Amino acid sequence: MEFFIANTVSGLAYAMLLFLMAAGLSIIFGLMKIMNLAHGSFFILAGYVAYTFSRSGMNFWLSMVLAVIVISIFALIIEKLFISRVHGSETDQVLLTVGLVFVLGDLALWIWGGNFLSIPVPAIFDFSLDFAGMTFPAYRLFVIAMGILFAFVLWYFEAKTRVGMIVRAGVDDMEMVSALGFNVKIIFSGVFIFGAALAAFGGVLSGPILGMYPMMEWEILVNSMIVVIIGGLGSWKGAFIASMIVGFVDIFGRIYMPTFAMAFIFILMVAILMVKPTGLFGRVES
Amino acid sequence: MKKAFLSTGLLLITILILPLFISPFLVYLSTEILVFAIFAMSLGLIMGFGGMPSLGHCALFGLGAYTVAILSEYTANIYLLLGAAILISLCFSIVTGYIAIRNKGVFFLMITLAFTQVLFLITSRMKFWGGNDGYSASVTANFGFGEITSNMGLFYMMGFFFVLSYFLLKLFVNAPAGKVLKGMMENEGRMIALGYNPKTYKMIAYLIAGSMAGLAGGLYIYKTQFVSPALFSVHMGAEVMIMVFIGGLGTVFGPALGAGAFVFLQNYISTMTDRWPLILGLLFIAIVLLKRGGILHLIQFVTTFGLKLFKPSRSRNAPVDKQVKGKEQAS
Amino acid sequence: MTLLKIEDLNKSFKALHILKDVNIEIKKGERHVIIGPNGAGKTTLFNCIYGTLPLSSGKVYLAGDRIDHIPSFKRTEKGMGRTFQKNNLFEELTVEENVRLAIMGKKKYRLNMIKPMQNYTDLAAECRRLLEEWEMIDRRAVLVKELSYGEQRLLEIILSLSTNPEIILLDEPTSGMSPTETSRFVKLIKKIPESITLVIIEHDMEVVFSLANKITVLHHGTAMMTASPEEIRGNQMIQEIYFGGGALSHD
Repeated sequence: MEFFIANTVSGLAYAMLLFLMAAGLSIIFGLMKIMNLAHGSFFILAGYVAYTFSRSGMNFWLSMVLAVIVISIFALIIEKLFISRVHGSETDQVLLTVGLVFVLGDLALWIWGGNFLSIPVPAIFDFSLDFAGMTFPAYRLFVIAMGILFAFVLWYFEAKTRVGMIVRAGVDDMEMVSALGFNVKIIFSGVFIFGAALAAFGGVLSGPILGMYPMMEWEILVNSMIVVIIGGLGSWKGAFIASMIVGFVDIFGRIYMPTFAMAFIFILMVAILMVKPTGLFGRVES
Repeated sequence: MKKAFLSTGLLLITILILPLFISPFLVYLSTEILVFAIFAMSLGLIMGFGGMPSLGHCALFGLGAYTVAILSEYTANIYLLLGAAILISLCFSIVTGYIAIRNKGVFFLMITLAFTQVLFLITSRMKFWGGNDGYSASVTANFGFGEITSNMGLFYMMGFFFVLSYFLLKLFVNAPAGKVLKGMMENEGRMIALGYNPKTYKMIAYLIAGSMAGLAGGLYIYKTQFVSPALFSVHMGAEVMIMVFIGGLGTVFGPALGAGAFVFLQNYISTMTDRWPLILGLLFIAIVLLKRGGILHLIQFVTTFGLKLFKPSRSRNAPVDKQVKGKEQAS
Repeated sequence: MTLLKIEDLNKSFKALHILKDVNIEIKKGERHVIIGPNGAGKTTLFNCIYGTLPLSSGKVYLAGDRIDHIPSFKRTEKGMGRTFQKNNLFEELTVEENVRLAIMGKKKYRLNMIKPMQNYTDLAAECRRLLEEWEMIDRRAVLVKELSYGEQRLLEIILSLSTNPEIILLDEPTSGMSPTETSRFVKLIKKIPESITLVIIEHDMEVVFSLANKITVLHHGTAMMTASPEEIRGNQMIQEIYFGGGALSHD
């Protein structure tokens, strides 16, 4: 039982990191119809950048804020320079963003080397909670809290704010939103940066847990893609629930059947797709 | 049909006489090129004729390779081994295709990629078959008329399968099913309105491409004698995708040319710098931003342009004046 | 004989109720025109009949068989053809290739993977016959994207005819055409044999009255009335709400 609960905490923490990745991926696709395969690169680059800041003596929180800002600006440049040119052509999007993943991955390898790096746990969370005879690393609990907080923020943003309303309408019909006089370019850039910032935030949070290593961007991308497939494209609610499922299956699978952990997720994904090809919360295409 | 025979014949002759003109090292390199050419042509079919972008096509290649490597412990019969490679890839294509083809574009891409990632993780954690370190096999090709051990022999063996694959693909794309597939890619809604079931044709193409990739994977082992999970990596999937693009999307032969250019370039550049992924990535980006076709498109452009210079053109849109009139009326 | 029967058809997108209890019966050989102001749900109705959009509720019968649950391509097999409001053709192919693809939809050999498509002589002959009949034979080798707009509209119709349909849904066949082109086009539509039933969405009243022998008025998603052209002309209410009184004056 203790073992189970301790791993539940790990699973949930991992699920929240996936959620931060998948939510951005999903919103960017839902609104812009852009499949950003370089989304995982934002995640890992943020980790690397925060690592550099924290190595230079800054504390965790300042490094985090700076890394998220750096990645957001970087995402804006990427969006303006590249992404905005491939609207409407899926093949171009795939090719372009795969190219970006290669370039960014190799640059990261160049700058930070091929070794496993990790960010030290921030001092205030560098302890464990003892509860009912079990110990919980405080940092993981913090990550879980952040994930839930952001799920709530996203919900509030989507349901209660004007910007959220525009975004929701845009997922259904971007032409309509543009016809109503909203500046589509600004909405697109905003959403892209927001998604990248979410991924960057997740990347820094994951620094003390998962660390950073070459090719990690693909691993995190594919896992969050599976989250998006299960949850349904364009739906952050789906992303939240699916990331919990994937996080749990991954952690417990690794413990009980290390070879086939992914196979479980995968069978689950197939089963869901058989019943509902657009994922749990995906809208049925008209 | 005549055209397909003609181009296949030309290709066959080229393959036959090529070793006479190039260095032994290039023969060795070309063996690899021919295998990747089969692989790239198979992806070219689903991407360029079916509109199904797949980053996970390497799964089928890898499966073919692993099948031959593993089964070679039990039999040396190349017909059985290659047959098994094709069959396993075909079965995997049936399962993945059935699920992935229900979805279009990005969803298709994500699902095929997810399938591939699963194979990657399973093979890298399967200690029994070498895990991350890969698995060495010792296979020698023997089609019943002696063992093929020399580089030259391997070159001709791959050459044979390459020409065969090319011929079959050429037949397919000009036959009704191939034309329907292409029409589907251009305008699916209209094809449905004409009474075609899109899934049927996409599935056919996907299965053909899957078996062909499996064959290529099986052949690959006869050259490398080694398999590793890297065959299932996204890098592999992306590399074959770029072969298709630099060669020419939407053509049968283009991807083969792309495979040639790619393998050549990779060998050349890797000796000079470690930054190959960087260069590869920039190549991807450049292709998209420059919006240029592949090598074959360039050749086609040059030859048609050249022909125009020599021949007084018998243009196929002869009644130009009528056309202009029609346009004026419309506006 | 009733060929197409639409029974209590409803379609809504979220809170928007676009079609409300639509009931229409279309008899064999009819030229049935559906009119109604923009946003009345005409194209949505076509999409529902053809299966491009799923129904929210209701039934659609073709020649007595229920078809509202079968996929679109099967409706084509059952003899339903359609054209699109915006040209929806294979722009990168030639006229001839477009028509061949269309004719082949009914052939068993459409799944053949070996014999080149151009070697099927029956296909070539049928294609030639059709193009000659519709006076497009001179343009057979032209890429569709190079055709004039009017020619593309005509090709839309030729494609839908090549599936040997019993009924064709024509979505604004003359939209975007000049008056001269339109009148020429109306003559061409009149050439379509009586054996093929036509359901037409049309805005141009001149076209409506020269083609229709039955008219349904769709207003805010309900089929307000179905009647002969004369009755529609004579109906005061329709005159006022739809034609705004003076729309028929130039007639």
